[in-house]
Amino acid sequence: MVGHYDENMLPEMLPIYYTRLFPQNIFCRWLTCGSYPQPLSNRELSFTLADDVYLRYLTICNQKELQTLLQKKCPHKLDIGAVYNTKPSIGRHDAVVLSRELVFDIDLTDYDEVRTCCQEAKVCEKCWKFMIIACEIIDRTLREDFGFQSILWVFSGRRGIHCWVSDYEARTLDSPGRGAVADYMCLIMGGDNQNKKVHLGSDNLHSSIRRALTIIDKYFEQLLQEQEFLSTSDRLDKMLKMIPDETLRSLVKKSLESMPEASLDRWNTFINVYENYCRESGNNVRKIRYLVEEIKIQYSYPRLDVNVTKGFNHLLKSPFSIHPKTGKVSVVFKPNNAKNMKLDEIPSIYSLLDDSSPDHVQHETNMRAAVKNFQEVVFSLEKSEAIRRKADANMSLEF
Amino acid sequence: MDLNIRRKSTKLPLTGSLVETYPHDLQMYKIPPTEDITLQEFETLALERVTLLRSLATATTLKGLRVYSEEWTDYVIGELRTQGLKYYAKLCEKSSCATTEADLQARRKDHIAHFILRLAYCRTEELRRWFIARELELFKMRFATMRGEAVETFFKLNNLCYTNISDEEKSEIIHFLRESTPHPNIENMKFFKVKFFEVLDLVKMRKVYLSGGYAYIPHKDFISVLSAQYRTQLKQSLAVACHHLGEIEQDERLVSLLKGLHQSYSGNDYSDAKAVIPIETLDSLAVKSFPLCMRQLHDQLRVAHHLKHGGRLQYGLFLKGIGVTLEDSLRFWREEFTKIMELDKFEKQYAYNVRYNYGKEGSKRNYSPFSCLKIINNTVGPGDCHGCPYRHCDVGILKNRLQGYGFDAQAIGEIIDMTKKGHFQIACSKYFDAAHHCDLGLGINHPNQYFEESQKIAKGDIKVEVKKEPKKAPIKKEAVDELDEMDFDEAM
Repeated sequence: MVGHYDENMLPEMLPIYYTRLFPQNIFCRWLTCGSYPQPLSNRELSFTLADDVYLRYLTICNQKELQTLLQKKCPHKLDIGAVYNTKPSIGRHDAVVLSRELVFDIDLTDYDEVRTCCQEAKVCEKCWKFMIIACEIIDRTLREDFGFQSILWVFSGRRGIHCWVSDYEARTLDSPGRGAVADYMCLIMGGDNQNKKVHLGSDNLHSSIRRALTIIDKYFEQLLQEQEFLSTSDRLDKMLKMIPDETLRSLVKKSLESMPEASLDRWNTFINVYENYCRESGNNVRKIRYLVEEIKIQYSYPRLDVNVTKGFNHLLKSPFSIHPKTGKVSVVFKPNNAKNMKLDEIPSIYSLLDDSSPDHVQHETNMRAAVKNFQEVVFSLEKSEAIRRKADANMSLEF
Repeated sequence: MDLNIRRKSTKLPLTGSLVETYPHDLQMYKIPPTEDITLQEFETLALERVTLLRSLATATTLKGLRVYSEEWTDYVIGELRTQGLKYYAKLCEKSSCATTEADLQARRKDHIAHFILRLAYCRTEELRRWFIARELELFKMRFATMRGEAVETFFKLNNLCYTNISDEEKSEIIHFLRESTPHPNIENMKFFKVKFFEVLDLVKMRKVYLSGGYAYIPHKDFISVLSAQYRTQLKQSLAVACHHLGEIEQDERLVSLLKGLHQSYSGNDYSDAKAVIPIETLDSLAVKSFPLCMRQLHDQLRVAHHLKHGGRLQYGLFLKGIGVTLEDSLRFWREEFTKIMELDKFEKQYAYNVRYNYGKEGSKRNYSPFSCLKIINNTVGPGDCHGCPYRHCDVGILKNRLQGYGFDAQAIGEIIDMTKKGHFQIACSKYFDAAHHCDLGLGINHPNQYFEESQKIAKGDIKVEVKKEPKKAPIKKEAVDELDEMDFDEAM
């Protein structure tokens, strides 16, 4: 547990962790497969050593080299970069990025303007719900709309989640392509100077947005109650600012302020007022046709760090790397199991290596499960890569 | 004139008459021209096409028209007529496959001029981007004005064969097609299945139904597939052209001409500052000479002692452009940031980025400050304060801010009015006038240009007559002349 954890112990514990617990074999297989047709050695790894010393453009040829490198440098954090046309450790100035997993980074700090339980680096079971929703929406979009299959979900180590898509089409997608995929999924736009960040227009809602809304609806009431989005006057004010129509806004304000603070009741009253208003105003409500949906999305739709997805060679923390501040392992989890994940059940380097820790047994079990999740994704990736290669070979024989 | 020039080509020479070579108004420019032309024609064709591309940019940036809207197209075609470029006006107005001599000559000129400009615009990344963006706009505009029959001929000529999905397949997904395709009459349209990365622009805008990695598009949307192909092809051939620049530049007559084109139309990218601005003056300059986008970043930095990455990039490069030295820049950011963090953290996490902006780290490129277009099209997320205030601010917040700056109600009204109409750069120009108590009506394309114009007024290079007096004609004219040389950067 974080309470017992001391960053100064990392230099002693990390070598043991890397040798005994880090899934080196499956890690190398995942990277090899994701680098094809380039060799594993063309992939950039980056280490963060003690005192924030960065080592970039490291490379390995096989598992043995990985083990040696990990023991020699003892990195506090492990990042994975792109696949180059040459070994980036040698000729990195002429090196060209050839491929890279399509990655997504969702961080709870981007939810600070909506979450009420925690701020900044803090995270609790309540705000973890945002991650569960994000995971489900993104996972289904990637599978159903884009047809991707090799999707790896990883806990980022503190307050967010990462997603790695290893399908060939995803890996070789160029920068504009990544940008387009990111924009397709990005519904919340605007900075601190915009109160209303979601604009769905007044035409038909796109199928992907409808699907996202059905997912949100599964969690929204609970989220509303846990976060109490509308309880205090500050929070209520924030919500009122999302209503562009002034008449409606003052109507809502009047009815919500005069009632008890419970957010769920207030929300239901808002819906009532909104629906009545729309019925009475007839044709003038095109502009606020999707107001309820827009507000729901602003409260709970995934907030992607778009720049991470758009960049072709952005470094991202490796699965099973240790978060140097929390000591937690970046475990791989199954997207359909995200809702059962408990933050304090995520193994940390401390509880794994100290068998007198009260969490030791539980965390060891969870670590094994995480490695198994990783294996499953890698096995299916290897399978689909083999099929694709065979199909390619047949194609070239035919011509 | 006896100065015939011969252009090298690696492709097979074209044979046959013009009818065979140029069967259609719209071309994909796959094969370069091989005939001999005079230097004079070379120059004329190049200049005429630059004028054409420039009018596309003007329509979007200075006139604030929505790209591909009817008014936009009308403006461009009108512009071509006034400039005496009737053949381009004709090619743009309605693309067809007629074969009169005038048609053929127009296509020939279009073809040759396009390839000349490839040579002029392949030099730098910035130029390439500008060129590709304009040529794509041109291509799409011409495709859009094409009639049904001409469209079919075009597809046939370019070997674009696609088969539509069966009626059963369509009826299975008709519900989703209706939801996700923004066209009326889905029932009567034939739909085609292409990979999602062939229609990235539609994916980006969420204007197509996606399933299992495929996009389902009606015939109308094929322009997306085509322009994506055209963009890729153009990108590659510009890279190739750039590679062979050395050979072309052995001919000195061409060098000056091609570089001249680049000089006169790409404008200043503000990556190297002319003056040195001490950081102690920034507070007062922010009020007097910064455009609002930079002023709000400056204010935010002073208040919060922190800016997120996008803000640091936008503001940091701007500062470099106006003449803040690297040493001063480091000191400036350090002084603010260390009010909320340890010096050590700043040096490790942020100093790198400051040096990076000045080309001292990483790829060591001398990065140019962002132009308006780039800023307007930037992504602005939660916690961010950068971007264009007229684009990325709620009107209420913007209004409050302007009132806080003490602008008079009429000026605020004008700025807000332009903002609401989506004319962000005109709103910025109004802001300029309000801040300088003048009525110049400048076309603002770049925050650093805004700064320079403001400094000219401050130093008295431009005499400003106070707004109340109606006479202002000479100044206005000067401003308009300058506009022609400005950079219309592309933000794609």
